[in-house]
Amino acid sequence: MVRLAESITPTVPGSDGTGWEPRIAAMVCNWCTYAGADMAGTARMTYPPNIRTVRFLCTGRIDPMFIVKAFEQGADGVLISGCHPGDCHYVQGNMLTRRRHTIHAALMDFLGLDRRRLHYAWVSASEGVKWAKVVGEVTESVREAGPLLNWGKPGASDSLRLPDPGEAPRIAPPPEVYERISVNLRQTAADLLTEEEGGVSMVIGYTPGTLPGQMVPAFVTSPDEAPTLAWSDGCGNNLSMYIPEVVKKQTDGKVGLVVKKCDAKALIGLMRENQLNREQVSVLGIPCAGLWQDGKLASKCYGCDGEATDLSDWTITAEGAQEGAATTEEQQATAPDPRDIQIAALEAVTPETRWAYWQNQFARCIRCYACRAVCPLCYCETCIADKHRPQWIPKSFDGPGNTSWNIARAMHLAGRCTGCDECTRVCPADIRLDLLNRHLSQEIETQFDYRADDSADIPPPLTTFRPDDPDEFM
Amino acid sequence: MNGDGWLLTKDERQEWLDALLRDGKRLIAPVDDEGLTLFRAVSTAAEASLEDYGNARWSPKEHQFPNTEALFSYSFQGDDVLLEDTPPDDQEQVLFGVRPCDAAGLTRLDDIFLGDQTDPFYARRKEATTTISMACDKSRPECFCTAVGGSPGGTEGSDIQLVPLPGEEVSLLRTMTPKGDELVAGHSDSWKPAGPEDLAKSEDLRVAVEQQIEHAPLAPEWSAALEGTFDHPLWEAVGERCLGCGICAYVCPSCSCFDVTDQGNAYCGTRCRSWDSCTFAQFTLHASGHNPRPDQPARYRQRVMHKFAYFPLEHDDRSMCVGCGRCVALCPVGIDIHQSVRTAVSAGASGEGSS
Repeated sequence: MVRLAESITPTVPGSDGTGWEPRIAAMVCNWCTYAGADMAGTARMTYPPNIRTVRFLCTGRIDPMFIVKAFEQGADGVLISGCHPGDCHYVQGNMLTRRRHTIHAALMDFLGLDRRRLHYAWVSASEGVKWAKVVGEVTESVREAGPLLNWGKPGASDSLRLPDPGEAPRIAPPPEVYERISVNLRQTAADLLTEEEGGVSMVIGYTPGTLPGQMVPAFVTSPDEAPTLAWSDGCGNNLSMYIPEVVKKQTDGKVGLVVKKCDAKALIGLMRENQLNREQVSVLGIPCAGLWQDGKLASKCYGCDGEATDLSDWTITAEGAQEGAATTEEQQATAPDPRDIQIAALEAVTPETRWAYWQNQFARCIRCYACRAVCPLCYCETCIADKHRPQWIPKSFDGPGNTSWNIARAMHLAGRCTGCDECTRVCPADIRLDLLNRHLSQEIETQFDYRADDSADIPPPLTTFRPDDPDEFM
Repeated sequence: MNGDGWLLTKDERQEWLDALLRDGKRLIAPVDDEGLTLFRAVSTAAEASLEDYGNARWSPKEHQFPNTEALFSYSFQGDDVLLEDTPPDDQEQVLFGVRPCDAAGLTRLDDIFLGDQTDPFYARRKEATTTISMACDKSRPECFCTAVGGSPGGTEGSDIQLVPLPGEEVSLLRTMTPKGDELVAGHSDSWKPAGPEDLAKSEDLRVAVEQQIEHAPLAPEWSAALEGTFDHPLWEAVGERCLGCGICAYVCPSCSCFDVTDQGNAYCGTRCRSWDSCTFAQFTLHASGHNPRPDQPARYRQRVMHKFAYFPLEHDDRSMCVGCGRCVALCPVGIDIHQSVRTAVSAGASGEGSS
């Protein structure tokens, strides 16, 4: 009887270090590297037999999930190889994959994967010699790293403690300010819902929940209901999460949406990805003094000046409501973003410590997919986690399944996440998804000079390329 | 089962629990996992984090009904398929520090898994489990156990209950079942017997905490009325903000739905049972693409109906919800199941809009 654990766990070396051979998944393109490997074979070149070659028409087809799946299924190392930039049979497939894998490699680095396990190369059809050399080097590198035994396994219990956020740069405003904003918001919502021409047929805002200080989403469709709307320091939800669904159903009139500056970035993301026509939404922007919970300011608010978003069709302040975007007199005091300090702390430790840290975080995941549900940019009709043929993300709530899910989520949001941190706020297991998201955003900004809250007119960074994109990771 | 019980100091309690560990039992207790309280197996009683823990972030259900459980393994050899049973996990385990709501919630799982059909995996683990509950010394804003027939000092599902006596360094320990008696046997001789006045103090505490809970009762006889609101348009408004995550089901002590999948490769694998949630769109998705619960309001209605109508109607009016309030506190969009039931029942009673 072959058991799953044995079939996917590499043979562990004996006490003398023998008996284990690296298993390496080599994912290569048909036109260059596969032909190069063929050339190595017909020329009778020898190289280590440790690779299992998987042929793709183009490296552009190699989804980072394939790498995750290979590791999850027991590979000790992965090698991706295709045509040199400029030589792609499909003109640009390898350019796109270069960007994608730049970011995926950065994610795996940040998670603390031993980078001796993950390799990339450009090998052309005439480079049989290079192929043999690459395979030799990769095999030695993976051999040094040893069998992969900690994929999806929690680390030592004395894992890393991240630095505290430190003192908030401001104090919460008095309740009167919120009350005055609430009054003006109700008035504006009622006016918009009554107007005949160019009117709004629904306002999505906040209303008090049943728990103390809790604010919950509210859908208001008539002026009579407008008095239920309210504004406070507990308005956490990024209401643009409802937009893709709501605008699909909405047949007449616009949707009025109460947004904070951080939420508005998601609207830009939705417009960029053609999920939202700007004409369908009337943005009710509110200057925001931050999200406070139990006297603590949310991390994302430290660096935010609290201005109403530039997208505002209406700006609602304590003083009143005015049409269009408006600058407020007083900006909120800011401080360095605590997430950056925490990311730096993670980058400062060894990959082993980082790996243990993240595996411990993922071990708590209960796969409720609340992170996906609250994300305004997670609008796929069918999520990869719900695909069964093949089952990309194991359904079981265990180390490999949780690791695969959390990598997939972070990767799919790379270059798209706008940093509202809602996934982190709602996570019942307190997994620091915000750090993964923010780290990838910063990588993308550094590598490709791109920010997810820039204009809606530029394409998402991982759907495009520049011929001179960096490829130091290779 | 024993008269008035005993009074245990913290040290005596820890000594006893450590002795149970030395006997080879698995001890599961609330522990601090990076700032969040979760029920985890501990290696010494001192690891348990019992100071002011309120309640664990999610229920101890996973130790009775694991979130993923291998039912059997299979492998292909030639044209044969070889099957192998999962080795039984029947290590004796003690669930310690369980709140009365959770202890009651776990008995709802008995109704599902030990009802008309006996689930051998569940039955084995249940047999090996002894539950020690810890009465609540204060309520949290989301608590509503008293609204569904429970109590902060309730003993349903407890083999043993500990009550921290207010202002005193000792807890009152009472056994409720033969299993509980067995767990204290040989240890209780050195403990200080409690008197009727101690029981009175624990009753005072129960009453005091009950009074902190302000949620109005959800009467058991509402089940039929609630079921009658199935086609009422109110559900659209009640469930429209539901996002379709699974937090409510996964933190719940009594949700029991699961999915069965094969985890494996071309050679072998295991058939696993993993938790599932009725709020997921895929929960009822047919292979044809048809989904009988087409939207979130329909899915959320199912959750409410199962807890407060279908289950009670089949189980002597016992609510399936035990009022731990976790789903209320953790719902990303603040949906309150207590409020949903009241809204539905009153809308049904007023007869407006019903079809």
